[in-house]
Amino acid sequence: MNSSPGKSASTHTSPKSASHLHIPVEHTTLANGLRVVVSPDHSAPVVTVGVYYQIGFRLEPRGRSGFAHLFEHMMFQGSENAGKMEHIRLINSSGGLLNGTTNYDITNYFESVPSNALERILWLEADRMRALKVDDENLRNQRDVVKEEVRVNVMNQPYGGFPWLDLPPVAFRNWPNAHNFYGDFADLDAATLADVQQFFHTYYAPNNAVLLMVGDLDPSEAFSFAKRYFEDIPPGAPTPRADITEPPQTEERHGKVEERLGPLPAIAIGYTLPPRESEDWFAMGIVDRILHGGRAGRVHRKLVLEEQIAVEASGGADLIETNGPTQMVTQIVHKPEFTSEGTVAIFDEIIEELQQQGVAPEELEPVKVKFRSDFYSMLETGMGSHMPRFGLMHYLACFTLFDGDPHRINTILDGFLAVTPERAQAAARKYLVPQNRAVLIRRPVNLPTPANPHVGNGGAR
Amino acid sequence: MTSSAASVSHRSSAPPLAPERPVAWPKRTRRVLANGLEVVLAEARTFPRISANLYFRSGNAVTAHRTPGLADMTATVVRTGTTWRPSRQIEEDLRRMGAGLGTHAGADSSSIAASGLAEASTGILELIADLARNASFPEEEFERERRQRFEELRIERTTPGFLAGERLRRVLFGRHPYAIVAPTEDQVAAYTRNELVEFYRHHYVPGDSLLIVVGDFAADAMLDKIEKIFGDWKAPQPELPMSPEPPKQAGRRVHLVQMPGNVQTQVVVGNLAITRRDPDWYRLLLANSIYGGAFHSRLVMNIREQKGYTYSPRSGANPLRQHGYFSVSAAVRNEVVAATLTEIFYEMDRMRSIPVPAEELDSARNYLTGVFSLGVATQEGLLGQLSTVYLDQLPEGYLESYRERIRALSAEDVLEAARRHFDSANAQIVVVGDREQIIDQAALFGPVTEYDASGNIVPARPLDVMQA
Repeated sequence: MNSSPGKSASTHTSPKSASHLHIPVEHTTLANGLRVVVSPDHSAPVVTVGVYYQIGFRLEPRGRSGFAHLFEHMMFQGSENAGKMEHIRLINSSGGLLNGTTNYDITNYFESVPSNALERILWLEADRMRALKVDDENLRNQRDVVKEEVRVNVMNQPYGGFPWLDLPPVAFRNWPNAHNFYGDFADLDAATLADVQQFFHTYYAPNNAVLLMVGDLDPSEAFSFAKRYFEDIPPGAPTPRADITEPPQTEERHGKVEERLGPLPAIAIGYTLPPRESEDWFAMGIVDRILHGGRAGRVHRKLVLEEQIAVEASGGADLIETNGPTQMVTQIVHKPEFTSEGTVAIFDEIIEELQQQGVAPEELEPVKVKFRSDFYSMLETGMGSHMPRFGLMHYLACFTLFDGDPHRINTILDGFLAVTPERAQAAARKYLVPQNRAVLIRRPVNLPTPANPHVGNGGAR
Repeated sequence: MTSSAASVSHRSSAPPLAPERPVAWPKRTRRVLANGLEVVLAEARTFPRISANLYFRSGNAVTAHRTPGLADMTATVVRTGTTWRPSRQIEEDLRRMGAGLGTHAGADSSSIAASGLAEASTGILELIADLARNASFPEEEFERERRQRFEELRIERTTPGFLAGERLRRVLFGRHPYAIVAPTEDQVAAYTRNELVEFYRHHYVPGDSLLIVVGDFAADAMLDKIEKIFGDWKAPQPELPMSPEPPKQAGRRVHLVQMPGNVQTQVVVGNLAITRRDPDWYRLLLANSIYGGAFHSRLVMNIREQKGYTYSPRSGANPLRQHGYFSVSAAVRNEVVAATLTEIFYEMDRMRSIPVPAEELDSARNYLTGVFSLGVATQEGLLGQLSTVYLDQLPEGYLESYRERIRALSAEDVLEAARRHFDSANAQIVVVGDREQIIDQAALFGPVTEYDASGNIVPARPLDVMQA
């Protein structure tokens, strides 16, 4: 352990890379195992701070669907020295905004504040890492809040939960990857205060977390604050990890879900991605953009602009943010006069064309330019316009927790920009195959008749 | 940091705030070109990107009475072709420049907005100019977009939040164009290509426009570039129509939009308020943030953190150019519609009758000033703030003086703002959900008018005669 973390923390100068990105990053590990990463940037007097725990809904205990997310709400309900609402009040009254999110493999808590509030924020985050102080009343209250969250985002919303909740149960076989991440209400109701405390002690230990500070700060002062507030939090036992491996898939998987509100059929098509940071993983990152990169992407161009089957056709892949089985997902909402099967057949033509004819450099180079530009944009914002550098913090957290190396922020782009037409085509041939995909159809209960007079003739008058 | 400080381990109370560090305002340049185009540039060299938004001060309100949604459809079709570039080339040019594009219209303005790599800034500005000057409105692209719009409208009519917002605007604005937030399918079916072209010709003109560019560039060079690309663009300023006044409300009324089978009710309460140009604007912002505009606000504490009725309650002051309105919203479980409305009005009335305690006032002022600093710390955020100032023609020092103005407000100011702009007695109540589960609760708050999801009034009927 460093006695003076600011000085002995490793510093890094990125080699000149294709992307010419040069983000200053310093990091250290405290005696209790808490990793600390800072990235100074004095362009505005604000800092964004986050604590990321390596526990997500994929890793929650069996039979406790939705618990990781319910627990995330409990982290705002009171800690040793900051009672219920005190945490939120202190951040808001310091001029800051805050939130938390639950993801596949991580749960994060973050805030953006004027930089004079940095020390206060660290005190607050340390206080709730040290000890959660919640009661049955808090749990009942947040269970109710979470149920309304599920209703407003899923049950009472056209296409709610599509496809992020619909597709995993079809695509995967292992419970951690395949269950209802928001949680069945019965499972939420079954959660007890003892479960909450046990989950806290199991997963919310400093040795299962990383603290990040980006923005208007002095790295040595930031490390010193981190040490002051966090270092005496006792470490936990080594964190158990659910087995998230998937059995080999041998044939295409299919599923159907009912759409209660929306009037149009929707389709999600997911292809499971190769392992993180393998050669093929970078290649699939580029294949994803060839297919999905906005209106110039092949999927939108064919299905929406040329064939005019779909009203929406988009997609993407969570590459950097996941650390286990994950898919590149295409989502299509199509006009009622077309069948879902016929729509998938046209989609298949797009895939076959890519596999057989590959991608010309004249298409690939612009795809890479856009990739680079979007990466910068993500680093600068990533969570709306009031969370400066959220994306930078988020990626630093993922590189630290999943790869053990936050400096990857400066080199990760190189891997994507080095993908050749040959490698992109080879990856498309290898991964965009039926025995690696799942197709989900979400069919409206009330499908309108295609014979609507406005519609049959293209709406002309 | 001294090492002795480090030995004071976890304290039991929060450390004080350090001295505030000053905001270094980005270098800003404003110039009006000879053709009337107002140009605002702000250097923000955070990442090697630029964002450029071209705004026209004409939106859907201009044609709301004869052709609702025309500005929206015009903006949509603008990006689908110019004299020089077919649709596909526009999209490929964007990608080559690492750029994204949005063309949109709201009630008061239309915009062409692009952002991408700084190294491609000339090409990005040229594309914006091409779209603003040479859009060709290809017939087949127009028909494709028209059909898209039908389908979007159908989805919107199944979305509780959309239906609630739409109904509130209808009720608050009456015959004023702000009443209409979306066209009907019949109205979309009646659009002609010529109407789009006419709207474009009259309203996409330099005399009424504003170009804001934020990002990694040197202002002088950027200004030269803009002069070259936009300088020879000429067209007269359009005349904007006068609008009738919104109605005065007398007493609370309930407007119920039926969505049978819904498992949750969308509640919205609102009243007319003010625009950003009103001297009361800052007071209203502060009152709103204490009432329901922040996580740590009274409404969130009450109906979320104490009672668990809802996930995302919020209130907001919504400023349009001619008028503004105040609104409160919450999606709640069906059993607690009346309880929620009771709390919404209780908290409004408390704001209207009892001065805010000093500590709460101080917190709220810090909140607004701090969040303001966050909002100008990214290219995207800064561009948003600048567009507010210049589109609404607010005083030049608005951004620089904002924090001081907020800090100068007192409990008396908040009380005054709440009394004037939280019109509890005449607020209009919209509930969207399963009629049979909520009508008895809603009827406790005023006379009820019922609508279907298309916006048609459903004739009143006895409560015990249920439709199949």
